[in-house]
Amino acid sequence: MTDPTQNAATPVPGWRRNLTRLQAIGIDIVLWVLALLMTEFLVIAFSGRRGPTGLLVTPEEVLLLLHYGVMAVAAVMLAMAWHLARGILGAPPGGALVYGLPEEEQDVPWSQTFRGWFVALLIQLTLFTGWLITEVQLVTFLTKFSKASDIIRGLLHPSGEILQQGLVLLVQTIFLAFMATAFAIPFAFVLSFLAARNLTRRNRLTRLAYTLVRAGMNFTRAVEPLVWALIFISWVGIGPFAGVLALWVHSVAALVKLYSEQVENIDPGPVEAITATGASAIQVLRYGVVPQVIPPFLSFTIYRWDINVRMSTIIGFVGGGGIGYILKPRVDLGQWGEVGTLVLLIAITVWVMDILSAKIRERIV
Amino acid sequence: MPDEAVRIESLTKVYPGGIRALEDVSLTVRTGEFLVVLGLSGSGKSTLLRCVNRLIDPTAGRIWIFGHEITAAEGSQLRTSRAQIGMIFQQFNLVRRHSVLLNVLSGSLGRAPFFRSLVTRFPEEEAERARACLERVDLGGRGASRADALSGGQQQRVAIARALMQQPSLILADEPVASLDPALRHSVMRHIEALNRDEGMTVICTLHDIDLIQRYATRMVALRDGMLVYEGGPDEFDGETFKEIYGQDAVPTSTLTT
Ligand SMILES: Nc1ncnc2c1ncn2[C@@H]1O[C@H](COP(=O)(O)OP(=O)(O)OP(=O)(O)O)[C@@H](O)[C@H]1O
Ligand SMILES: [Mg+2]
Repeated sequence: MTDPTQNAATPVPGWRRNLTRLQAIGIDIVLWVLALLMTEFLVIAFSGRRGPTGLLVTPEEVLLLLHYGVMAVAAVMLAMAWHLARGILGAPPGGALVYGLPEEEQDVPWSQTFRGWFVALLIQLTLFTGWLITEVQLVTFLTKFSKASDIIRGLLHPSGEILQQGLVLLVQTIFLAFMATAFAIPFAFVLSFLAARNLTRRNRLTRLAYTLVRAGMNFTRAVEPLVWALIFISWVGIGPFAGVLALWVHSVAALVKLYSEQVENIDPGPVEAITATGASAIQVLRYGVVPQVIPPFLSFTIYRWDINVRMSTIIGFVGGGGIGYILKPRVDLGQWGEVGTLVLLIAITVWVMDILSAKIRERIV
Repeated sequence: MPDEAVRIESLTKVYPGGIRALEDVSLTVRTGEFLVVLGLSGSGKSTLLRCVNRLIDPTAGRIWIFGHEITAAEGSQLRTSRAQIGMIFQQFNLVRRHSVLLNVLSGSLGRAPFFRSLVTRFPEEEAERARACLERVDLGGRGASRADALSGGQQQRVAIARALMQQPSLILADEPVASLDPALRHSVMRHIEALNRDEGMTVICTLHDIDLIQRYATRMVALRDGMLVYEGGPDEFDGETFKEIYGQDAVPTSTLTT
């Protein structure tokens, strides 16, 4: 039998070596561009010529775009120069990342290499720039607490008037989350088998399905439920149904990810055994795969319901039904007593759901 | 029944990553034989067995099962061929959360009505047959237990009943007793032997213990590094041949396992 390492020793083709070299230089160019941009930003901010976040380009400043070009060229030249002079300066960060550190530099402390200083400077620049861009105001934070005390007082003195309405909408919230989860189960169940690598790699058609489902679900999951809510509100109108749809879409994507990971972790033994009996693909799925994934599927589904209850509060803020719907106007009007009641209701529900779902999941697994 | 149960011609398997698990293996198994495959760990025994029922697709070479070329079969043809071949695994590979009876019934999936099988409803005569198969392996009363509630030896007997349920003409057994206590090994091997002797099923089995090999095999072949290096009957098999196959440092013991 051939040793697998023999195959690894086959020479790397030239184009591939050039590709990694380009990759290394590419990373360094990006790092230099970042360093130059942030330096410029700091200089501009402290010279007071523009507001701290005034990097946006106005029509008159379009000409200035030229200097981004200049900066890019400078970065390319600096990166190239460093790669050529790496004998003197040491390996640049991109090279270190792509090739690993050369032997003689491995134990040198960062403060003694050019690369170390460069990275340290980048981190410093990022911190300073971040401070300015997010408009951090430490003094205000530490001295102006009294302005918020009204809210805290209101939250601590919940008003009873809104309790009944709150309870009704709380029930709606829980059912909203439940319906979204229930609708999501069959879709996620079917899709999760197509999103599992171990079941799809043997045949070209299923491999294609795998790629499509994965890509589609990743995209769907990347879009916030709040955005889905806005989409469905304009589709079916304000109300809990829009919230159900928004949470449904997001839950399908999230559950497919969780489910398919479980499918990928199953014991391949029973699958082999059922295949060997002459069963068809669907029967193999039914007998070899499904029994193994039912308990974790149930557990994840309950967990998802729990998450959906929390999310539906936020969905309500934009008109997706549930308790968030009456919370939002009271926040806007500063009726902190009533806000306190609602927040308390939500907190208790989330807390109870959390305990319940943990208990049930413990039982199942 | 044709005289040739299995014919393998120039079988080669290269795994992704370049590992050559089988190298130009040619072999004929006659109907009714109890063929034992031996060889060191990694010599390609499991790969050979899995190629026979196409759990693994060979890289090159052809295999005929009772005259039908399984390496050329696809779809329902392949499933029909597989249904003729029962397989027994080292790790039993039962569906742990299913009942013992349902595990045995799953041996009939190859011929079961499709939609009813999806809701685990099998025809009554199949249930009858499954109970009979359980009787055969001395587990008559355990049909309702969950599979993972049984001991290792019992689970392997359920797996044998599942293979029996297929009403196969050929049994592949990949180290069927390697995960069992030495004391239990004969009790499991006896059942496989019964399939061979009483039902006339051809058996291809990988084994490591020299006394099991001598007791059950009617013929054996050995693999080393994916190549067929030995073929002979049980009478010619002794400590010397054992050393040839397993290397000079090997000691033939009854408990040698991998
Ligand atoms: N799925 C796989 N992918 C890659 N290589 C594999 C795979 N399965 C087996 N191999 C390799 O193929 C070779 C033969 O493996 P095989 O399992 O057939 O050996 P074996 O004789 O059954 O060994 P054992 O006695 O340990 O069960 C080994 O080198 C193994 O590492
Ligand atoms: Mg093996």
